[in-house]
Amino acid sequence: MRALAFVVALACFVGFLAPPAIAQDAEALKKEIEQLRKQLESVTERLRRLEAQPAPVTPPPAPSPAGPPAMAPPPPGMSLAELARPRQPFSLYAQRGAGQLLFDIGVTGDFVGNLTQSNVEKAQGGTFAGQENRFFPREVELSLFGQVDPYAYAEVRIETGEEARGQELGVKLAEASVTLLTLPLGTQAKFGQMRNRFGYSNMIHEHDLPWIDRPNVLRNFLGGEGLQEKGVEVTIVPDLPFYLEGLAGVFNGDNETAFGRGTLRIPLFTGRLRTFLELGDENAVQLGMSVASGESTEKQRDTLLGWEGRYKYRPEGWLHPLLTVTGEAIYSLRRVLVEVDTDADGLTDLIKKRERDRLGWYTGAEVQPFRRWAAGVRYDWSEFPSNPGKERSVEPYLTFWPSEFLRFRLAYKNTDRTHRETPGANDGSARRVDEVLFQGTFILGAHPAHPF
Amino acid sequence: MRRPSLVVGAIVTTLALLAPGVQAAKKLRVVVTIPDLKSLTEAVGGDLVEVDALTRGTQNFHEAEVRPSMMLKLRRADALVENGAELDLWADVAVLGANNPNIVRGAAGRIEISRGIPLLEVPSTRVDRSMGDVHPLGNPHFSLDPGLAPIITQNIVDGLSRLSPDDRPTFERNRRAFLERLGEEMGRWTKLMEPVRGAKVVAYHPDVIYFLTRFGLVQVGTLEDRPGIPPSPQHLVQIIRQMKAEGIKVILVEPWNDFKLAQRVAEEAGAKAYVFASAVGGVKGTDNYIATIEFNVTLLAQALK
Repeated sequence: MRALAFVVALACFVGFLAPPAIAQDAEALKKEIEQLRKQLESVTERLRRLEAQPAPVTPPPAPSPAGPPAMAPPPPGMSLAELARPRQPFSLYAQRGAGQLLFDIGVTGDFVGNLTQSNVEKAQGGTFAGQENRFFPREVELSLFGQVDPYAYAEVRIETGEEARGQELGVKLAEASVTLLTLPLGTQAKFGQMRNRFGYSNMIHEHDLPWIDRPNVLRNFLGGEGLQEKGVEVTIVPDLPFYLEGLAGVFNGDNETAFGRGTLRIPLFTGRLRTFLELGDENAVQLGMSVASGESTEKQRDTLLGWEGRYKYRPEGWLHPLLTVTGEAIYSLRRVLVEVDTDADGLTDLIKKRERDRLGWYTGAEVQPFRRWAAGVRYDWSEFPSNPGKERSVEPYLTFWPSEFLRFRLAYKNTDRTHRETPGANDGSARRVDEVLFQGTFILGAHPAHPF
Repeated sequence: MRRPSLVVGAIVTTLALLAPGVQAAKKLRVVVTIPDLKSLTEAVGGDLVEVDALTRGTQNFHEAEVRPSMMLKLRRADALVENGAELDLWADVAVLGANNPNIVRGAAGRIEISRGIPLLEVPSTRVDRSMGDVHPLGNPHFSLDPGLAPIITQNIVDGLSRLSPDDRPTFERNRRAFLERLGEEMGRWTKLMEPVRGAKVVAYHPDVIYFLTRFGLVQVGTLEDRPGIPPSPQHLVQIIRQMKAEGIKVILVEPWNDFKLAQRVAEEAGAKAYVFASAVGGVKGTDNYIATIEFNVTLLAQALK
């Protein structure tokens, strides 16, 4: 009985509530129908537009295999035909998620080791002077590069490395430059601190060199680190049927080995012409001439002339060249001040200007029969830019790349000198040097592709 | 009397000599990074474009060497059509040496065709180089998937129209004509591949996944255990075991990859290795986009029979 009363009460309650609820449902349904009608109209219109277009390629739907990932479905509400229509840039790109940097970052580590005779170590006469019989980080470099804006590209390289035995590692700015890309008449301008485009190998960083060490001629004429200057370079690639790049630069002249005035009042001028010839699909040659002219710390003019050549033979279908031949020569026209003792009393009586015309060159060949292995040899011959004497060396080497980002090199270098350019602290001769050199290099992250 | 006629003759001759140049000057000079895009750009651009490719179909596009001859081509280009998705990053170095503001990043002449492409194999976890030469944006070898041609060609139309807005109707018309033809071929290719649908294959490098997926085939593995890293013996042993267990009869090898190694693996596994056209011009008779897909479809339909 009590249960019956409860049911009746419930029925009455529902009965009271029902009319407004039904009214609300009807209103909602009306709205929904209206919305559906609008959607139908929109779809019909879209269909009509699509039918007006030619039939797009309608490939079969992608299967969903167990192994590989299936084709990513189009975003909800978008058909392939819609994807194919013109759209705002980035609208779909953004769906891949954020987190993409606007510039690239890479870290390169270059470690070298060498073994040589003890007298060479004492005289500090090895390839890595002061670091004989040591394994050390030569160059660990952080590179940041990318577009600044639509008009400019920037590159910053910060590096550290052990320069002398037991010395604490210091961090320095290796390169920081901006290239203006949108100048007229096929020109570009680069300003900042940079490795100068003088010859083939000067502009290459240590870890990217095709050998463990920089060729003797470059170290003798431009110093251990090569020509790195602060200033401006302008290049032009004229619209010709063949490739020709012209370069002119103005720099401080900070390089103390060759120049050293370090002022724009008496700047260092550089220039280069580079051309490229393809002899069929398999053979290619790059040729260039460079000049650098400035004043030394003695306020005397020093002009360096450089010639470069690089040949590559890459058989059809090969991923790497089979043969690469490289050569460079530098001719130095230097004025130096010489102290003259006319009466042989051991005292300088007058200072005379002397011309020192010196030559140095190297040539090397590399054979890469396998993708991961290469072997080569480099021959160096160089006079010293100021002092008398010359040296020659021969360096066979073997390179192994476990992957694109890791490389090992082993080399043997034999050097013969008549004199030392700058004798060591104990005045050792180190006229005959035998060295075993080892290099391990890695790349973390991004690294730009290398030109020819 | 003689002198004026000589002058007129010289002017007429000069004009006649210049005429083709003037005609040629009307065309957009387009450079593309990979040959697939040359074929597609020619299909869209028709007579209004002159297209030159920086690489050939027999090359590995990941490791293209930047030569000054590339810079020479780019020096005169009105547009550069690039694949994107990190396949042809080397183009940046070539552009930097070309001194041509028309094609630097952000310029109207820089056309990237990966926009809007639903990329496959987009990593969903943290990626680093221990996984080989991985592409954080996804697998970039999508250009030979005919199902994606509408998106790719639309990107090309949009790009070319930025440079020559008046020619958009022509580009659109050319695109429609090309897609119609591709659609007809697609129907035939689908029929041809129907009997082998669901078949499993092994590829040397993961650059055929879009094509296989499009036609309902399954890539069960690659000879490279990690992209771009030469295969280790252990991995090859594992692949051979898997191929035997699953009865896989086909290994697909790019024209630039180590065919001998693939052949050895195939012999061990009781299968056969085939060179497929990984790009337009990759093998003989694949001079254009449709011919290249035709080659690959025929190859797979016969090999998997």
